[in-house]
Amino acid sequence: MFNLSRKSREALTDMMLAGPATLAMGMLIFIPVIIVAFLSFTDYQMGAKTLRWVGVDNYATLISDPIGRRAIVNTLLYVAIVVPFSIALSLLVAIGLHGMADWSPSFSKALRAAYFLPVAATLVAMALAWQMLLHPSIGLINMALIHVGLPAPAWFSDRGLVMYTLALIGIWQSVGYNMVLFLAGLAVIPQHLYDAAEVDGAVTVWDRFWTVTWPMLGPTTLFVAVITATNAFRVFETVATLTRGGPAFASDTLVYALYREGFVYFKVSYASAITIVFFVFVCTLTIVQYRVLQKRVHYT
Amino acid sequence: MNKAIFIAALGFALVTAQAQAADIRVHYAIPTIWSDTQEKLADVFMQKNPDIKVTIDGPAEGYADGVQRLLRESVAGNLPDVAYVGLNRWRALEARGITKPLDPFIGNPMDFEKAGFSAAIRSLGIYKGKQHALATSASTMVMYVNPDLVKQAGGSMENFPTTFDGIIQLAAKIDALGDSVEGVWIGRHDWRFQGVLGSHGGRPLNDDESDVTFDSDAGVAAATIYSRFLKEGGMPTYGQNDARQAFPAGTLGIFFESSSLLNKFTEAAGKNFKVNVLPTPVVVKDKSKAYFPTGGSAIVMLTDDAEKQSAVWRYMQFVTGPEGAKIIVENTGYAPTNTIVLSDDAYLGNFYASNQNARVAHAQVAAHAGPWYAYPGPEGVAVTDLIGATLVEISEGADPKTAIKALADTVRGKLGMK
Repeated sequence: MFNLSRKSREALTDMMLAGPATLAMGMLIFIPVIIVAFLSFTDYQMGAKTLRWVGVDNYATLISDPIGRRAIVNTLLYVAIVVPFSIALSLLVAIGLHGMADWSPSFSKALRAAYFLPVAATLVAMALAWQMLLHPSIGLINMALIHVGLPAPAWFSDRGLVMYTLALIGIWQSVGYNMVLFLAGLAVIPQHLYDAAEVDGAVTVWDRFWTVTWPMLGPTTLFVAVITATNAFRVFETVATLTRGGPAFASDTLVYALYREGFVYFKVSYASAITIVFFVFVCTLTIVQYRVLQKRVHYT
Repeated sequence: MNKAIFIAALGFALVTAQAQAADIRVHYAIPTIWSDTQEKLADVFMQKNPDIKVTIDGPAEGYADGVQRLLRESVAGNLPDVAYVGLNRWRALEARGITKPLDPFIGNPMDFEKAGFSAAIRSLGIYKGKQHALATSASTMVMYVNPDLVKQAGGSMENFPTTFDGIIQLAAKIDALGDSVEGVWIGRHDWRFQGVLGSHGGRPLNDDESDVTFDSDAGVAAATIYSRFLKEGGMPTYGQNDARQAFPAGTLGIFFESSSLLNKFTEAAGKNFKVNVLPTPVVVKDKSKAYFPTGGSAIVMLTDDAEKQSAVWRYMQFVTGPEGAKIIVENTGYAPTNTIVLSDDAYLGNFYASNQNARVAHAQVAAHAGPWYAYPGPEGVAVTDLIGATLVEISEGADPKTAIKALADTVRGKLGMK
């Protein structure tokens, strides 16, 4: 064997451990991203034998075209609704179930499973269930509304309402996952901090939440916020199964538009431009959230 | 080894090799409708043509996926030899030079007509005078009617209105039956709109496809039907799926939808009510000017190899011939594309005797089948969604004339016309 110093042998081991994965990542992620970035500046169509350099035309279209702009606005709206509501609701549920575990562990566990169900089930199947529930005339929800004399909204076919309906389903779908993360965060808060806070005068539940629970959940909240936001940006399955971006593009989102342009219209170059915009959005959001929130997060 | 035996063995090997000379690969889509039918077609064909072996590729989920896959396979150089594609999708393959023109195989068009390929059906696969595809299954837009609701609203199936005016009046009466009962619904979708347009004698494009023509008087009249369905017939703001659930549930009176869904609706309605199928009204005075865009599938030849081409042609003749048509109709619910099975009761006589609804739907295809216009150029598919969006606006109250004129201008811009 070679006579290598201990340090270089360790370095070699590190390389052997991380190398294959790095290589695979390079081939499967970075190279495709470069190809997509390149295609976004061309007029390439699926199956075409030639392509032409068109500069930033595709990006200009995406921003100037009312349909492209609507996809961007709808996605931002969806993220703006789903992220805060999902985080707030899942935190409430987690605190409730965490407390409940003290007096009725089995009931708390059953409820946890119920909340987690939407995460474990396939979203496409669940979307079909939503479609039945929210059918404008024979859906359970509207039949109940009609029964008590309330107006029955067209949840998926009212253009002003459809994004909110989808956001509602998005919240429903992500609460369970976020709840599990918050429960894990709550479980590691040491009891003596609450005791100390009480000695220091934090007597109400509210005081204890702001002085102990919330700061201690900082890292978890940061993680939950980043995960929920990236997932919300990627909203696709519910759009594809429930509305197909309709009616009249009212529920078009970035990823659905990307799918439609690339795989239905065969406009690969335009779809590539959408992909890059989407990529930039997600990266920016993650970095900003990380920078802003990290300053306020106390890691213990 | 004895030389004579060796030569005999060699000869035998050659003969069997030749017997399996052609091995053709078939692509199809939508296994939920087609998988059993495809197996049957291949089995019966191979029984009759033992020298050809048919291999079926794993199916694509839908026609859009199917075309995508064919385009990818063409780039990679492993195209199948023959493919079933959507009647409105084969042009995407033709535009990229992937399909092979069939005219040299067809030979004399008169003989071909006698073999059951009518001009109307042939027109579904012709572009710029060349036959690129042969229709294998067809569907047009028909009226699905719930007779129970019609009766409750004071109408009857015997005196069912045959004009849009009459239908709108009846729809309003059905709509008034209750909060969750709706009178009429039609999809806000390019294909359905082309149907109403064709019923008025209009066409979406001019003959050389250099301009859109759906903003003609017929086009405005067709768009007005959408508007009147809303304003006079109380058409709800359903999505396509909502309507497909509401009709079999018995809460929608009249539903304009593809005849290919007949089996599905009949099954889903079950004992709820007896689904009735009626032809879509023809508005234009000269009935020969009316046409209905035809959905369904077509078969295209993809292989360059001369030997395989002749095997593929035999396969195509079989599946589009009366025997193939019989298998397709009995197993999928689509209308046949071969006229022999309609005129000769030996093929589908029993089937039609017990399927009055299918007879109505298939007669409409035979009388008025016309091409499902695909808009030319790279934006061709994208503009169909713009058309759908405008129909949504009209069926929510926008003025049909202004909306359809504005749409025509937008579409012209997108397609680079003018």
